Order: sequence, then structure tokens, then C-alpha cells
Amino acid sequence: MSMLSYQHFPIYAIMSLFLGAFLVVMLGKNRAVRNALAFISVSASLGFLLALVKRVMIDGEVIAYWMGGRVPAGGYAIGIALEVDALSLFFGLLIAVAVFVSCVYSFSYMSHDDNVREYYTLFLMLAGGVMGLVLSGDLFNMFIMVEILTFAAVALTAFRNTAAGALEAAFKYLVVGCMGSTCILVGTVMLYAQAHTLNFAQLSALIAGDMNTATKVAFALLFIGFSTKAFIVPFHPLAADAHGAAPASISVLISGVLTKSGLYGIIRLTYFLFQSMGLGSMQFLLVFVGSLSMFICVTMALAQHDFKRLLAFHSISQIGYVLTAAGLCTAMGISAGLYHAMNHTIFKGLLFLAAGAVLHQTGTTDLGRLGGLSKRMPHTTVLFLIGAFSISGIPPFNGFASKWMIYQATYMKAVESGNIGFLLVTIIALVTSVLTLASFVKVSQSVFFGRLPAEFENVKEVPFGMRFAMGIFALLCVVTGLFPNLVTNYLTKPAAAAVFSVGNYIDSMMGAGYAESVMAAPPAAPVITYTELGCWDPVSWLLILAIALLAVTIVALAGKYDRVSLRPAATDAKHDLFFGGEESVYSQVGGGDLFWGFKHNWRHYFGFMHDLHSGIVNDYALWALVALALALLFSLIVL
Amino acid sequence: MSIILSALQYLGYILIFPGFLFCFLGGMLLCGIDRKIVAKMQKRVGPPVLQPFYDFFKLCGKETIVPAAAAKTTFLMAPLVGLAALVVIQLFIPVFHFSAFSGMADIIVILYLLLIPALSIIIGGAASGSPYAGVGLSREMVTVIACELPLVLVLLAVAKTVGSALGTGLCFSLTEIAAYQAANGSLILRASMIPAALAFLLVIPGETGNHPFDAAEAETEICEGMLAEYSGPPLAVYKLSHAIKMLTLTSLFVALFLGGIGGKIVNILALLGLTGGAAGALGVLLGAVVLFLLCALITIVCISLVHAATARLKIEQIFKYYWTVVSALALMSLVLAWYGL
Repeated sequence: MSMLSYQHFPIYAIMSLFLGAFLVVMLGKNRAVRNALAFISVSASLGFLLALVKRVMIDGEVIAYWMGGRVPAGGYAIGIALEVDALSLFFGLLIAVAVFVSCVYSFSYMSHDDNVREYYTLFLMLAGGVMGLVLSGDLFNMFIMVEILTFAAVALTAFRNTAAGALEAAFKYLVVGCMGSTCILVGTVMLYAQAHTLNFAQLSALIAGDMNTATKVAFALLFIGFSTKAFIVPFHPLAADAHGAAPASISVLISGVLTKSGLYGIIRLTYFLFQSMGLGSMQFLLVFVGSLSMFICVTMALAQHDFKRLLAFHSISQIGYVLTAAGLCTAMGISAGLYHAMNHTIFKGLLFLAAGAVLHQTGTTDLGRLGGLSKRMPHTTVLFLIGAFSISGIPPFNGFASKWMIYQATYMKAVESGNIGFLLVTIIALVTSVLTLASFVKVSQSVFFGRLPAEFENVKEVPFGMRFAMGIFALLCVVTGLFPNLVTNYLTKPAAAAVFSVGNYIDSMMGAGYAESVMAAPPAAPVITYTELGCWDPVSWLLILAIALLAVTIVALAGKYDRVSLRPAATDAKHDLFFGGEESVYSQVGGGDLFWGFKHNWRHYFGFMHDLHSGIVNDYALWALVALALALLFSLIVL
Repeated sequence: MSIILSALQYLGYILIFPGFLFCFLGGMLLCGIDRKIVAKMQKRVGPPVLQPFYDFFKLCGKETIVPAAAAKTTFLMAPLVGLAALVVIQLFIPVFHFSAFSGMADIIVILYLLLIPALSIIIGGAASGSPYAGVGLSREMVTVIACELPLVLVLLAVAKTVGSALGTGLCFSLTEIAAYQAANGSLILRASMIPAALAFLLVIPGETGNHPFDAAEAETEICEGMLAEYSGPPLAVYKLSHAIKMLTLTSLFVALFLGGIGGKIVNILALLGLTGGAAGALGVLLGAVVLFLLCALITIVCISLVHAATARLKIEQIFKYYWTVVSALALMSLVLAWYGL
């Protein structure tokens, strides 16, 4: 194989990030050199993955790569392997794009911080860790990468360690994150003891037909381990703390990249390693945890007073959608889930960057203190609104396209399986979407609209570099929303097909016929077809809307619609109104509590949740233990 | 040549029927009828039925005032976006067997498209910078959340009922739902769908923000909330949007539950011996008239009568009402539909 053979590209994609990390720390004293090194390494990583799109996504090739050419000997895979199928590449691309945009954004965003060299080193280590995780074909290497990314993420969470709560957040993350990593390690060890191999493909072939007590325990451990990385319930409080403290560019990685590694792990675990998604109990587990995350986190978000913490909870809520869709185990479900995972990376990245822009210019993310920034930061406002509409599932943005597929997939599953539980899931998904919208209306009212406080009178728009980074995400939000067929045909359907092609995955790594020889009947590669129940044609809709809007606007402008005759003074006394005798600071429409009409009816629930989320790390560690115990019970009794 | 003709045809759909002109006339007339009926019930003479038209044109001639605290472009553009989005929704709702644009949006999409007009008024109100608008948008959003759950349940129940009747399991397409009803009679005639229809009727005043669910606009306490700062043409556009929303929701009700009348229209035309293009055109015209009359009837029943008979609810009461009573009705239908009744 020549050095430039495409088979080397996956390892190059990982290496360029790690190499960048070491070069930055060695040579990165000068700002320009540092930025150039970081930029080159993230671009190279993205470039190598893009070069694989045609082969893997369109031609359906699976790249099996043995480091140092150490191919299996004596029937056992002992070399270190990378295996890139459409699923790995799909997640790899998401990660590479998010890392690229976040890096561009960091150039301006981190310019006022100290120790920026260390920042880029850790940034690239985190990116390399996640990239290595999704491209790895080896369970133990996945654990190594989990360790790297966890420690990089912990350090980056506390990067601005003078900020209130940064060290505390990092500590919480460290404690629970390490519990998760330990679970993954113990699970890996138990599987190794069973099957005497760490290669993912070989393990999948050997484990699948042989579900004994030890493998069941290993499953529970690995599931909980990857759950902590995805921050799904009950690990959601960690995400909120971490996002609240970390720099915005890191929040993009934590929400768009790190949670994806957890999701990727769960999908590999359930669909490949244990091949147990055919079981109703397994579907129940994923759909239940997913729906729970979806609903609990959206309600938690409604109760937040801080811009970034609010976004953090929404992030987990959207991960809940992905997990639910993946748990349906239908072609449409998994395709919808992956589509939403992609959209989540895009719109959540955009929103975190917008929050970062606000923090960068005003120095706060407190919803109660901000307001009226649309007059000072008009571009950020528009970009934020695109992200907010996307996550709330407003047509024609990308969040709607994927959520709409999820609604169909869950309802179709309900009808096909006759299980009324899936109907409930459909309803929860639909209602969660409108609650998300409510939450973002709150943010837009209390950050970008409403009244501009005097202290932010002189706030300016963010530098071009930051707007450019947000613009990339915003453009992706619109494009992936307007052309859902392109996304499903070239990205999610190949990845969904890969999810169901376990036999092919094993054979690509271990040689043709291996799966058949070990497993009595390897799962056949399915044809990914599904008929969408509904119809949604975003381009035509947009065209009609544009014509309609043009018609109204022409009529309005011809009638001198924007002729403004009177401009009252800014200090008009009527703006100093009181609500029911109280000053507006005490009124029920303060930034954090805009929807008291809703919260009042749910006050017992919100009170319960408030008491439950104590913020004490001991409690969260206990939650993790309880979750592990429940997972063990589930796995031993039900599975 | 044929491209130009079809482009003109679609432009006609957008601008005349079932687009702007129909929406403008229909919505304003519904609004006038509503005001007249409420006045009659309160033993007042009431304004003439054409009063909303007079109001609209008078407002258009007034000056526009943009508050100093407002974000001007957003403040002025929001009403226009809301109006355009509403008219586009109307284009997707079939008028019995005639649908201007079929196969573009189904009922779930329409559910979400309906959020855009609500969102435009919320964003517009937020951009005005007024504290009254802040209270108003808080209440409007809670009302939207309140209506969403019963609406979702109703739509899922309809999708299941039609889907299992057609043998496809689920049916989200409004055109197919209309066609099914034209062939097999209106859905409201099924016992299992009556609670859903009732729930939808109760959702209509909430969605349009009419009494007693108008906490978001409560004139007497928060000066119309999000509209507090609006004046002149932008206010006229909002008033028009409100009127069109009444038309949109009532015609959605007709499309979902009373589609069987479409079959009757075809039969009548056949009895009269009309065929071909003349029958098509006359059918659409007749359909439009019947649709408007039905919309007026529904408006009187679920908006005017309720308005005259009730006092305004508090926002938490609105929320509770929708998530308990109305949702229970809709859920009843959904469960009945689920078990194939």
C-alpha cells in the first residue's frame, strides 16, 4: 500500500489531530503559528474523511485497516485495527465539521484568554480522542480514546478556572466521567475474558450467539459507561454544569461531538456487539431512556436562568430524540435518528456559539440581566434565531425535517407492533418540540429582544471570524432542512444500512465467510427502504412563501407601510410600568420565569425536580450507581 | 407556453383563490359575523358586518409609530411574515375535492406551520420592547403549548382512523383524508371521532386567541399584550391575520371532519347534468361557497357563542383546561381509533 492509499486515510484523520496537539504545544508560542497549526490539523482531518465519502457512503465499501499490517493470525485478531463503515464515517464527518467550525470560532473567541497554547492542545486532544473512538475497530482502543477525551474535556471545562463554578463543574464531570470510564473498562475486561479478543468485529461474531451471565453484566457496564459520555438521564446534570462553565467553543464539542461518541458507542453496542436490537426489551430500554431524557431535560431547560445551562439541557433533550429513534430498530427510525444526530450537532453548535458571542461581548449569560441585544448585535440575533427555529422544529429548518421523520417512525412503529407505548412516545416527542420552542422564545425575549439594559448600551457586534463560524452552521441548518432527500440518500441511508449489516462488518475485518462460520446465520444485509407516510416539500413551500411574502411586502411598501411619523423619546415614562403594583424586577415575567402559566400547573413536578437536582456531586455519583444497579438488574432479569 | 399558463394558474391560486383574496374576504366576513352575533347576544345593535373592512382600511391610512425601544426591522417585518405564512397554510388545506397544492404538506407539517404565525406575533411583540408585550408573549406561548397537546392528539386520531380504513395503517395526507371522506362520508359521523371533533372545536378559540382564551391579548389589563405598541398598517396586518386564522382553523376543521360534503357536491353537479371543465369550475365555486358557510357556522358556534357566554380565564386556567378536559376528549378518540372502533 502506498502512503497515499485511501486505506490510510482514517488513521491520518486521527493522527493529524494528535500531531497538531503536540506541534501546538512545541511550536505554538507565536499566535499566528499556533492558529495555523490548529487550522491545518483540523482541516486535514476533515479533508481525509471527505475523501472517503464516495467509497464508503456511495459505493458501500468498509475500510478495514490493520496498524503495522498485523493481520489476524491463528484465527485471533491481535493487531490494532481501525474499521470504517458508513456509520463510523457518518459520525466522523459530524465530528470533523464541528471541530473545524469550533476551531475557526476559537481564533477570535479565545483571543483574550491566557494559556491559549494549552487550550489548542487540549482542544485537539479532545477532537482526536473522539475521532479515534468512532473510527476504531477495537474495543480496548475505544476505551483508550474515551479516557483521552474525558480528561481533555475535564481540563477544558475548567479552562477558565477563574470563572465561578468552573472547577466545581470539572470536578463533578471528573468523578462521574471516571465512573463511566471504569464501567467501560470493566465491561471490556469481562468480554475479553469470555472471547479472548478485543477486536470489535471478532467480538461481535463470538459474543452474539452466546449470551451468558458474564456477557449480560458486561453489557450493562458498557451501556452505562457510554451513557455517561452521552449525558443521557440520569447523567444530565453534569452536562449542564460543564456547559455552563466551559468556553462556548468547547461547549460545541461537548454537545456536538462528545455526546455523539456516547451515542455511537450505544449504537455499536446494541446493534453490533450484542446484536440484541431485535429483542423487544432492548428496544424498550433505549426508547424508554430516550423519551425520559427528551422530556425531563426539556422541562429542566424551562426552569433555567442561564443561557448556556439552558442550552445544555436542550442538548440532552435532543439526544433523547436520537436515542428514541435509534431504539425503534426500524430502517426509518435509525435513519431519522442519525439525521437528527447530525442536525443536533449543527444547530446546537450554532446556539452555543451564539451564547458564546453574547458572553464575549457582555460578559454574562444570565437571562435576567440581558436584553435588547438585537439592536446592538443584529447578525448574531439572526443567526441565533435560525438555530432556535431549527432546534424547535419549525419548518423549513433542519430540526423539523428530522423530527418529522422521528414522529412518523415512532407512530409507524406503534401501528406495526400494536404497542400503545410507542404512541405515547410519539405524543411526548411532539409535545417536547413545542416546549423547546417555548424555551427559545424565552431566550430570544430575554436576551435579544425586550429592553436593552443601560449597562449594555455600548455593546458591539462580535468580530467577523465568530460570525463566519456561526454562519457556516446557520447555512448548514438551512441546507440540510431544505434538501432532506440529499441528506437521507447520501448520508443517513448508507449509515442506516451499515447499522443493519453486522455480517458485512465482521467479514470485512475478519475475512469473507468468517461471520457465517462462527455465527450460525449471520444477519443478512437489509435493503434500506421505507415509505414516508406524510409529505413535506420544503423547497416548494419556501417558494410559495417567498411569492406570498413578496406580494404582501410590495403591497405594504407601496402603501408606505414603513413610513414612521412619530418616534417617542427613549425615556418615555410609559416604559417604566409596574405589574400589579410590583416593580418589573419582582414581576412574574422576569427572564428566568417567563412561562409561569405553564410552570404553575406543573409546580409539584418542578418542585420535585428542583429538590432532586441538588448540585452535590455525591448525589450525582449515587445516581450513577443506582443507574448501574438498575442496568444490571435489567440486563440479568429481562434481557 | 404551457409553463407560463401553469405558472399563471399557481399565481392565481396564491393571489386569488384559495390565497389572498379569498382569505381576505372570507376572514374579514367571518370576523364581522362574529362581532354581529356577539352584539346580538348581548342585546346590542353591534357594528355592520362589513365593519372589519372599514377598520382595516382606516388603520392602513393611519401613521405608524415605532417605539424607541423597538428593533425596527423585526418589529415591522414580523406581521408581514405571519400573514404570508398563514395564507400559505390556507393554500394547503383542500376545499373538499379541490386542493391547490397537494402532496406538499401533511397534517403534521400543518401543525408546525401553524406555529409560524404565532411565532411571528411573538417575535414582533418581543421586538417592540414593551413590558406589556413581554407579559402578552408569555401568555401567548403558554396558550400555544396548551393547545398543542389536544391538537396533536386529534390529528393522530384522524391519521389512525383514516389510515386503518384505507389499509395503510396511517394517513397523514390531507388530500387523502378529504378523498376518503368524499367517498365514505364525513368523519364526524363516526361515533369514535365525535370527541375529537369536539376537542378541535374547543381548540379553535384558543388558537385564534378569542374569548375566553384571550389572556394573551386581554385589552383591559395588558392593553392587547403583544399588539400594545403596534399602530397603523402593521396593526391592520395583525388584525387581518387574526381574521384569516379564524378562517384557516375552521376550514381545517371542515377538511378533517366534514369532508363528506365534498361527495355531495359532486353528486349534485352530476344530477344537474354538468360534466367536464364547467363542472370542475362550478364545483370549486360551489365548494368555496359551502366551505365559507360552514366556516361561518363553526365560527358562530365555537367562537361567537362561547365569547358571549363566558368571561376571560386566567392563563393557568387556560393551560389546565386544555391539558385536562380537552386533551381527555381527544385522547378518548385516539384510544377508540387505536382499537379500531
